[in-house]
Amino acid sequence: MIHNYLFLSIILFCLGIVGVIARRNVFTVFMSIELMLNAGILALIAFARLHVHMDGHVLAMMVMAVAAAEAALALAVVILLHKHKSKLDTNVFSLLKG
Amino acid sequence: MFEHILSVMIFLPILTGVILLMTPASQGIARITGLLVSLAILILGIDLYVHFAATGYLEFVEKLAWVPSLGISYHLGVDGINLFVLMAASLLLPMVYLVFTTREKGFYANLLIAQGAMIGAICAADMVLFYIFWEIMLLPIFFMMGLYGGPKRIPATIKITIYTIAGSLLMLAAIVYLGVSYHAQFNEWSFAISDMAKLNLSGQTAILFFFCFIIAFAIKIPLFPFHTWLPDAYTEAPTAATFVLSAIMAKIGVYGVIRFVVPVFDEQLARFAILLACSGVVGMMYCGIAAIAQKDLKRMLAFSSASHMGIIALGVFCMNMQALTGSIYQIVAHATSVGVLFLFVGLIESRTNSRSIEDLGGIAAKAPVFALFFAIALLASVGLPGTSGFIGEFLIILGAIKFNVWVGVFAGTTLIIGVCYMLYMFQRVFFEKTNPNTSTFKDLTLVEGLTFLPVILLIIIMGIYPHPFLSKITPTTALQFAGDTPVVAQTVATNALFPELTIEKK
Amino acid sequence: MELSVNYLGLIPLFPLMGAVIIGLLHVFTCNRTRLPEKVYGILACIGPILSFILALRVWVALKALPPESRFLTHDVFTWISVGEFNVSMGFLADPLACLFLLFVTFIGTLIHIYSIGYMSGDVNYGKFFAYMNLFLGSMLVLVLGDGPLVMFVGWEGVGLCSYLLISFYSEDRANVVAGNKAFIVNRIGDLGFVLGMAFLFWGIGSGGFDYLSLSVNADNLAPGIALAVCLLFFIGATGKSAQIPLYVWLPDAMAGPTPVSALIHAATMVTAGVYMVARFSFLYAGVELAGSVIAWVGILTALLAAIFAMYQDDIKKILAYSTVSQLGYMFAGVGVAAYSAGIFHVFTHAFFKALLFLGAGSIIYALHHEQNIWKMGGLKAKMPITYVTMVIGALALAGCPPFSGFFSKDEILYCAFATGHYGIWLVGIVVAAMTAFYTFRMIFIVFHGQARDQEKFDHAHEPPSVMTIPLIILAVGAIFAGFFNLPGVFGGNLMVSQWLEPSLTEVHPYTSTFVEIFVVVASIAAFAVGLKLAWSKYGQGATKPEFSGFSRFAYNKFYVDEAFDRVLVQPYRALGATIWKNIEPNVTDAPVKGASRLYMMLGNAFKVFQAGYVRVYAIYMVVGLSLMTLFLSQSLN
Repeated sequence: MIHNYLFLSIILFCLGIVGVIARRNVFTVFMSIELMLNAGILALIAFARLHVHMDGHVLAMMVMAVAAAEAALALAVVILLHKHKSKLDTNVFSLLKG
Repeated sequence: MFEHILSVMIFLPILTGVILLMTPASQGIARITGLLVSLAILILGIDLYVHFAATGYLEFVEKLAWVPSLGISYHLGVDGINLFVLMAASLLLPMVYLVFTTREKGFYANLLIAQGAMIGAICAADMVLFYIFWEIMLLPIFFMMGLYGGPKRIPATIKITIYTIAGSLLMLAAIVYLGVSYHAQFNEWSFAISDMAKLNLSGQTAILFFFCFIIAFAIKIPLFPFHTWLPDAYTEAPTAATFVLSAIMAKIGVYGVIRFVVPVFDEQLARFAILLACSGVVGMMYCGIAAIAQKDLKRMLAFSSASHMGIIALGVFCMNMQALTGSIYQIVAHATSVGVLFLFVGLIESRTNSRSIEDLGGIAAKAPVFALFFAIALLASVGLPGTSGFIGEFLIILGAIKFNVWVGVFAGTTLIIGVCYMLYMFQRVFFEKTNPNTSTFKDLTLVEGLTFLPVILLIIIMGIYPHPFLSKITPTTALQFAGDTPVVAQTVATNALFPELTIEKK
Repeated sequence: MELSVNYLGLIPLFPLMGAVIIGLLHVFTCNRTRLPEKVYGILACIGPILSFILALRVWVALKALPPESRFLTHDVFTWISVGEFNVSMGFLADPLACLFLLFVTFIGTLIHIYSIGYMSGDVNYGKFFAYMNLFLGSMLVLVLGDGPLVMFVGWEGVGLCSYLLISFYSEDRANVVAGNKAFIVNRIGDLGFVLGMAFLFWGIGSGGFDYLSLSVNADNLAPGIALAVCLLFFIGATGKSAQIPLYVWLPDAMAGPTPVSALIHAATMVTAGVYMVARFSFLYAGVELAGSVIAWVGILTALLAAIFAMYQDDIKKILAYSTVSQLGYMFAGVGVAAYSAGIFHVFTHAFFKALLFLGAGSIIYALHHEQNIWKMGGLKAKMPITYVTMVIGALALAGCPPFSGFFSKDEILYCAFATGHYGIWLVGIVVAAMTAFYTFRMIFIVFHGQARDQEKFDHAHEPPSVMTIPLIILAVGAIFAGFFNLPGVFGGNLMVSQWLEPSLTEVHPYTSTFVEIFVVVASIAAFAVGLKLAWSKYGQGATKPEFSGFSRFAYNKFYVDEAFDRVLVQPYRALGATIWKNIEPNVTDAPVKGASRLYMMLGNAFKVFQAGYVRVYAIYMVVGLSLMTLFLSQSLN
C-alpha cells in the first residue's frame, strides 16, 4: 500500500508549494517549507519500509535534524527582517529587483 | 652568471612587489626598493646579454615538469627573438623610479609586479606558462590605471581590461586547441612552443584558431582596427603605466606573433599575410594621420605609438628575414624612442601642469639639454639615419617591398607621416615664444640627465653601429626561414614586379 | 682596381666631432656664463680645415694612380648585415667624389670663416656652428659614401641640418614653419630614394650594395625596374635639389641665416641631387626615358624659377629662385647624359652663388637685416668691395664670357644641342637671357641709382675683413673656375670632364666646330639681350613697379604655395581631424561600442525576470525542477 503514503506525500508537498507561492506572510511561507520537507521525509520512510532498508530512515533523521537547525536560523532571520521594516510581508523585501 | 637567472629576473620583482603591498612600507621605501630591484634586474639583464651566445636556439634554458600528465612544464629560455624584448623589459624600468619620485607605494609595487610578469611572458617557452604570465601582467596595469590614472580613468581602464581579456580568452582556446592537436597527432601531451612547430595544421579549424591567436595579439599590439582602446588608455594611464604599455607590453604582442603564429601557423599566415600586412599599413597611416589632429601631447604620442606598431607588425607579416629582423630591431628602437618620449611628456606635465600643445612653447630656449634629448628621441622615432629608428624601419620597408610592392610603397609613407605631426609638435612645444607656463621651465636635473643619458646614447649607438646587435638576432631569424617553406615562394609569386625572385634558395 | 686607404672616414669625422664638442659646450653653457665667441669660432673652423687638407691628400693620391683605377676605398665597419643584405659603413673616393670633396670643404671653410663675422652678437652663436659642422660632416658622408645607403645617411643628415638652420631663429613661427616645410618636402623625396634603393636591391638580386659592385651588376636589372629605380631616385633628387614639383621649400628656406643660404641652399646640399644622378650614371645611361624626364623637368624648373626671380623684391628670394633655376640647368645637363657638364656647373655655381649669397649677406649685415631691394640703392659707393665682388658673381651667373658660369652653362647647352635635344636647348637659351635680366636687375637696383631709404643708407658700411676676404677669394674662384673645363673651341681639352671620366658612364658628344661656335654665339647673344633689358629698365634708378596681369601672377609665384596648401596641407589636416572626430568614434570603435551596448540591452531585457519577490523565484524553481524531472523521467524510460 505504498501508493497511499506517496499520495499523502505529494498532497503535502503541493500544499507546501502553494503556500510558498501564494502566501505573503513570512511565517506562513516558512511553515510551508517545513511542510514540504515533511512530505519528503514521509516519502523516504515509505520507501525505506518498502525495501526493508535502513538508509531511508537514516536520511529522514538527518533531514529532521537539518530542518530543526534551519528553523532556528530562519527564525533569527525573520526577527531581523521584522526589526528592519516592522513588517512580515514578503513583498516588502524586494531588494533584488532588477 | 648562475643557472636560474631567468627565474630570478621573473620572481624577484614579483615577490618584492607582493611583499611591498602587504607591508605598511612608506612610499619612499617602496620607491627605493623598487629602484634597487629594477637595478638588480638591469645588471642581470646586461650580464645575460653579454653571455648570450647567439646560437640561434634557446639559451639559459630552465625546464621543470609542472603538470606532467598534460605535458605542461615550467620552461624558460632566450633566443634571438625574445632577447631584445627582454632587454627592453629589464633595462628601461629603473628610469621610471628615477623620474617619478613622488608616487604612491602601490604604484611602485604594481610596477614591480608588472616587470616580473612581463619578463615571465617574454621568457616562457611553454604556452600555458606564457598564458599565465600574459594574464598576470594585465593586473598591475589595471590597478595602476584604475587607482592612479587621470580624471577619466575608469572607463579607459574598463575598456582596456575587458578588451584585452576578451582577446586572451581566444588565445586560451587556441592554446588548448594546439595542445589537443599535438596529442592527436603525436599521441603525447605537450605545450612546449618548440614542439608546436612540428604540428601539421590545416583546414577550417586551424584558420579559426589562427585568428584566435592573431586577434589576441592584435589587441595587445594594437593592430588596426583593434586599437581603439589605446588612445584613451595611454592618455588616462599614469605616465609610467603608459610607458610600460607602449614600450614593453605592446612589444610582447608582436613577440607573441613571431613566437606562436609564424612557426606554428605558417600555412595560414601565408594565406592571410597580405590581409594582416595591409592592416598594419592602414593602421600606420590611420593613426599617423589622426595624430596630427591631437591637442594633447600624450594622446598624440599614443597615436604615434600605434602608428609605429603598425609598421613593426607589418615587418612580422612580410615573412622574410630582412623584415622580421627589422621588426625585432625596431622593437627596441621604438621602446627607446617613443617610450622615452612618453617619459619626457610626463616631465613636461609635472613641470608645467599641462599637456596641451597650445599651452606650451619655447622650451628649447629654457631647457637646452632637455630639448636635445627630446629631439634625439624624436628623430629616432621618425627614423632618421644615425639613430636606431632608421635601421629597423629601413629593413622593414626593404622586406615589405620584397613581400609586395604596393605594401612596401605605402609602408614607406611612414617617413612622411611621422615627420608631419612630430615636427608640428616640436615646433609648438619647443620652438616659438615662451609663455607664462613655460617661462620658468627648469632644465633636466643631474639625476634626470644621467637617467636618460644611457638611453639617448643607446639610440645613437644602435643607429651608427647596429651590427653587434643585429648579429644577436640574425641567427634565430635565419633559422625561422631555413626550413622548407613553400609559403614564401607562393607569396612572392603573387608579386608582379619581381617575378624573378620566386626562386627561393630553400 | 681600387686602393684601400684608412683616412677617408676621418674626413667627415672631423666636422662631426666638432659638431659634438661645440654642441655640448653650447648646451651646457648657454644658460649660464656664455663662452666667448672666439672659442666657438676657432673650434668650428678646425674641422673644415682638417677635412680640406685631407681632401687635398685624397686628390694627390688619386692623381698618382692611373686614370682607370682611381678609386680609394675605406671600409670602416660592417654596418647592416641581414641575410643577403650586407652593407658596410664604407667610403669611396673617386674623381667625382674628389671634386665634390674639394669644393665642399673649400667653400665650407670659407663660409665658416665668414660666419664668424656675420653671426657675431647672436645668443645662439655656439648652436649655429654646431649645426654648421654637423652639416658639413653629413655632406661629406653624402659625398664619400660608398653606396646608396651610406649616401642616404648623409642625405638625411644634411636635410636635418637644413631644417635646424632654417628654423634657427626659432622664436618666430614663420621660420619654424619654413623649416618644417623643408623637412617634410625633403622627406617626400626621401621616400622615393628609399623605395629606389629597395627596388634596386631586389632587382639586382645578388652582389654588394656599393657603387662599384652595383655598376658591375647593373645589367641584371630588368628594363622596367631600371626605369622605376631611376625615376624613384630622381624623386629623391627633386626633393633635395628643389625641382618641380618639390621646389617650394627652397625659397622659404631663406628664413635661415645668410651663410646657411650660401653654404647649404646654394653651394652644396641642394646640388646633392645632381651628384646622385651623376653617381648613378651607370643606371641612367641605360634608361633614355628617365634621362629625358630629368632633362625636361630640369629645364622647365629653370624656366619657372627664372620667371619668379624676375619679380621678387627680397634679395635672398631672388637668389633662391636663381639657385632653383641653375639647378634646373644642372639637371638638364645630367638628363641629356652630359654628366660631367652638369657636375661642372655644380662646381662653378658653388663659387659664384656662394659669392652672391655672401655678398647679399654683407648687404643685409650692413643694413641691419633689411632684405627688400626696394629699400636699397646706391650702395656702390658705400660698399666697394662687396659691389665689385658681387658684380663678378653676377657676371658669372648671367653667363658673361670669360667668367666661370659662361663656360659651364655653355657646355650644358652645347651637349643638349649636340645630342639633338633642341627644345631643351631653346628653353635654355631663353632662360639664359632671363638670368642675365634678373641678375642685373638686382645689381642695378641695389648698387646703382639713388638711395631709397636714406636712414639705412647712412648707416651702411663695409663689413669687417673676416667677411670680405672670403668674398674676394670666392670672386677669384668665380672668375677662373671656368677655365678648368675649356672646350676645344676655346683651345682647351675639357680637363674636368677627363678627370671625371673613370666615375661616369658618358660619351661626350662631338660635332662640327660650326655648331660649337653657333651655340656659343647664341649664349652670348642671350646674355647681351638680358643685360640690355635690365639696364634700360633699372639702370638709372627705378621705383617698385605696380604689378598687374601676368606680372602680378608671377609676382605671387603662380600661387603655387597657396595651391599646395589648398590641395595637400589643408585636406591632410582635415583628414586628421575627421579621423579623430568622426571615423574613430563612429566607425572604428563602433563594433566595440556596439558590443558593449548589446550587452547592456540584453541585461535590460533579462531584468524583467528579476522580480525581486521570493515567491516569483520559488515559481521559477518549481517550474525548473518540474521540467528537469520530466526530462529525466523521459530519458530514463
